Amino acid sequence: MLISGIFTLFIASLLIFNFWHMKKNDPIENEIIATFVERLASDPRNEEIMVEIRNLDLLARKAYFTSIWQVNVGSYILLFAGIIFALALKINTDLRRKITLPEGSDEKLFPSRIISQRWLLISGLTIIGFALLAGFLGKDQLKNFSPQHAAAFSRDSIDESIEVIQLVDPEANPVLTTDTPVENGQAEDNTNANEISIPAASASSKTYYGIEDFKKNQNTFRGALGHGISYSKNIPVDWDGASGKNIKWKVATTKSGFNSPVIWEDKIFISGGDKTARIVSCFDRHKGQLIWEKEVKDIPGSPAAPPRTTDDTGLAAPTMAVDGYYVYAIFGTGDIIAFDLDGNRIWARNLGVPDNHYGHSSSLIVWENKLIVQYDSGKGGRMLVLYTETGETIWDIKRPNLISWSSPILVDDKGKMQVVTSTDPYVAGYDLETGNELWKVECMMGEVAPSPGYYNGLIYATNEYAILAAIDPAAGPAVVWENDEYLAEVSSPVASDGILYIATSYGVLVAYDALTGEKYWEHEFNNGFYSSPMVADGKLYIIDMGGVMHIISADKTGNIIGQPELGEDGYALPAFADNRLYFRTNTSLYCIEEE
Amino acid sequence: MKNSLSKIFLFLIFTFLFLGVYGQNRFPKPEFDSGYEQPSPTKPEPRSNAMEILDVFVLLAALSLSSWLAIKKRSRQGILWLSIFSIIYFGFYREGCVCSVGAIQNVALAFFDSGYKISLTILAFFLLPLIFALFFGRSFCAGVCPLGAIQDLLVINPISVPSWIRKTLDFVPYLYLGFAVLFAATGTDFIICRYDPFIGIFRMNAPYIMIILGIAFLLLGMFFARPYCRAFCPYGVLLNWMSKVSKWHMTITPDECIKCKLCEPSCPFDAIEIPIDEKERTEDTVRKNVRRFSIYAILIPLWMLAGGFAISKAHVFLSRANPDVFLAELMITNPELIDDTENLDIQTFLESGKTMEQLVEEASVIRMKFKKGGWFLGAFLGLVIGVMVMNQFKMRKQDIYEPHKGNCFSCARCMDFCPVEKKI
Repeated sequence: MLISGIFTLFIASLLIFNFWHMKKNDPIENEIIATFVERLASDPRNEEIMVEIRNLDLLARKAYFTSIWQVNVGSYILLFAGIIFALALKINTDLRRKITLPEGSDEKLFPSRIISQRWLLISGLTIIGFALLAGFLGKDQLKNFSPQHAAAFSRDSIDESIEVIQLVDPEANPVLTTDTPVENGQAEDNTNANEISIPAASASSKTYYGIEDFKKNQNTFRGALGHGISYSKNIPVDWDGASGKNIKWKVATTKSGFNSPVIWEDKIFISGGDKTARIVSCFDRHKGQLIWEKEVKDIPGSPAAPPRTTDDTGLAAPTMAVDGYYVYAIFGTGDIIAFDLDGNRIWARNLGVPDNHYGHSSSLIVWENKLIVQYDSGKGGRMLVLYTETGETIWDIKRPNLISWSSPILVDDKGKMQVVTSTDPYVAGYDLETGNELWKVECMMGEVAPSPGYYNGLIYATNEYAILAAIDPAAGPAVVWENDEYLAEVSSPVASDGILYIATSYGVLVAYDALTGEKYWEHEFNNGFYSSPMVADGKLYIIDMGGVMHIISADKTGNIIGQPELGEDGYALPAFADNRLYFRTNTSLYCIEEE
Repeated sequence: MKNSLSKIFLFLIFTFLFLGVYGQNRFPKPEFDSGYEQPSPTKPEPRSNAMEILDVFVLLAALSLSSWLAIKKRSRQGILWLSIFSIIYFGFYREGCVCSVGAIQNVALAFFDSGYKISLTILAFFLLPLIFALFFGRSFCAGVCPLGAIQDLLVINPISVPSWIRKTLDFVPYLYLGFAVLFAATGTDFIICRYDPFIGIFRMNAPYIMIILGIAFLLLGMFFARPYCRAFCPYGVLLNWMSKVSKWHMTITPDECIKCKLCEPSCPFDAIEIPIDEKERTEDTVRKNVRRFSIYAILIPLWMLAGGFAISKAHVFLSRANPDVFLAELMITNPELIDDTENLDIQTFLESGKTMEQLVEEASVIRMKFKKGGWFLGAFLGLVIGVMVMNQFKMRKQDIYEPHKGNCFSCARCMDFCPVEKKI
């Protein structure tokens, strides 16, 4: 015990000395070097002094790092010595403890209990006294909150140095005011949960475009109803970005964004954004000319500065939706906006800044006069349906699911439209008219980014670390088959002609029988997939993270038809049109057409 | 004289030992000109699922072994070696996390926040020691808990403290437990982890004040055995409850107690029930005690009401511990701080994109949770005080030497003092 004790003391003393020595000889504040530096200042071209400084500096740093090593090693020796000492001590004092006769206590039981009672009472009363004192002295400053405070921390008052690009005259496109106040500036979760309030204005006599029009125009993320099927014909299969082969036109985009282009007749739309501004751009899809570009700003309740997002999500990840009258865009700031096809601002509101550690990415989808927004965040699940004419809330529900990054799809259930979403922990269907939950299956987990797929009455949902599930809502609902061999992390499942396609983030593309789950084929590629597959013209198109488009026959053979590339990284799903493909990369928008 | 010198020698060694470690710990941390302070490490690096399962199995095995050593084998030596293993595995290797003591907060948060999912490992760490306590007493405290084990290793010359001090200190863990649950349930902080005095030693890394606190606890523990376990440990409250009704608790004697008194000084934790001197039990004492017992029993609801009212009243003060509430109030009272680029909290808030209205709204919700929680906490503390005061006048028979089933750590020290041998 004595030896280990002395050794411990010795090591501890050395360490303390070493620590003191290191503190004293900080290489950054070395006095000798400082003197040389002063001399160099008066004679800046003196090579000799420079060399001397370098040598001294190297020496000081070497000594410093040696000391660190010594301290590290020393502390482990000290720990070891301490343990040995404690053990020796323990054996000496505890295990070899001699039994002694009890000395006896003078303490009397009942009188000592009276004292205990007194001290317990004093303790209890003291705590109550302190609590009351704290209660009376504590002034609730939150009650003093006023609009002046909000103004003090508003956008205007901070970071004047940020350059804001002015693309549009706000006077020319004022915010449309409605009789029913929209919920501008409210906290994200401060909603009228489960209240269904269809505004009177919704009784519009306007004729809305339907499924046949959406099949002609890729108006939303993953095409008509979000099913991942394009009905366009003669889609190009060969191009080359480097040589310009079959590149009809290419234009630079003003702001980056991971959203896919959406199309309505002759126009193609994308959104973009960064810390300085968020924009919506419209191009002539035949010539590539910019028709209009509008900045998304002056929205009441929009945050003073955009929330932080990760580089692979950004502020403009959600794909827009267009319904033939208006084009709708949502951003990572919680701003949602509608323009008519000529770029006139129709309405705009802020849904509350999403509490989302990557950034909001769920895309919009539209049906008749309803714009569907899946707005799950760190505060929990939420889904809204907005009236397309004014942006007013038709329904807004809070859901008991966790944050997700997937997008909703629409499913026509015997003439009634259902909204289907995939989140942690469940896949669920909602009545588009009322927001009532029609069915749900708990089968998902983790950070759900893949959107659901649909084929022949079955819903397909998947996520990494969860399962791939084929759900039949009409049968209970029930999981008809499931698999966990290949699971997508971001890319959404697509099913067509009885075949389901899954693309993983580690580069595997696999095809299953959509009805039974039997595997038909799988391909492994060098790059992973974040983008979702689309089936068009009998072929499966999917772009990998290296910008290579894999074109595969959409059948049981899975033959690779082509692997053209643009030479630029691309994540966004392309937009399909007859004879054409539209790609959006980080910097450009491409139109591809085979000559 | 020789004895005093050796104590001074021991004290010096421990003080130097810890200061030496401190010297190493403080150095590698970078210092920031902006005034940024290193956060206190409350969580170590994440661990793989397989390793977490291994941890649960190690805990299960250690609890089983500890129970067997205390009850069946009756081996102090075995428990001592198990303590050393626990310090190395759960302490230094697992860096004190996940620990059953801190798991209280995860359970509380999971209970009150539906968005928080508690892992099965944490739940197992929370439940297993309690289940074992229900059957075998506090075998977790005996040699499995690294916090208890490190203190136990340094019990050198324990002194017996007067019972009124012990009984008053018994209230502190309830207080700590109550506040820990309130703070966890409101998503404010995990105070048990933040103010764990030994975590810095296990991780060889902690803020200055926590290192000092850890050293202080260990030095104090040389004389007042296991100070953290006896006067602070919130998990000890739950273990105490379970252990009180334990089915097979360890005993001092392997057979019948012969009241030889030899075990009386053996327990460094004053957890041995001593036979009551029947001479003290006069008719007058009994009558007075019954009267006091009844009065204090009737007063319990009053204690609960007063406690609930007082703590709830303090909700404004208490909720300032929540970073959102603190920030909201700071920005309301000092709007000029928007220009203070060195105030990282405000700068982070501005970058988050949240509006001031949102922050104030969230802060108000949290404050209301404190108000509501304050009622529950105050009522709980009032109940504890009321029952503790009442119990001072509980009349019960005690005619042999036996461990206090709630307070006994099952360390098995007392067994070696008993001269009785088990009859075959």
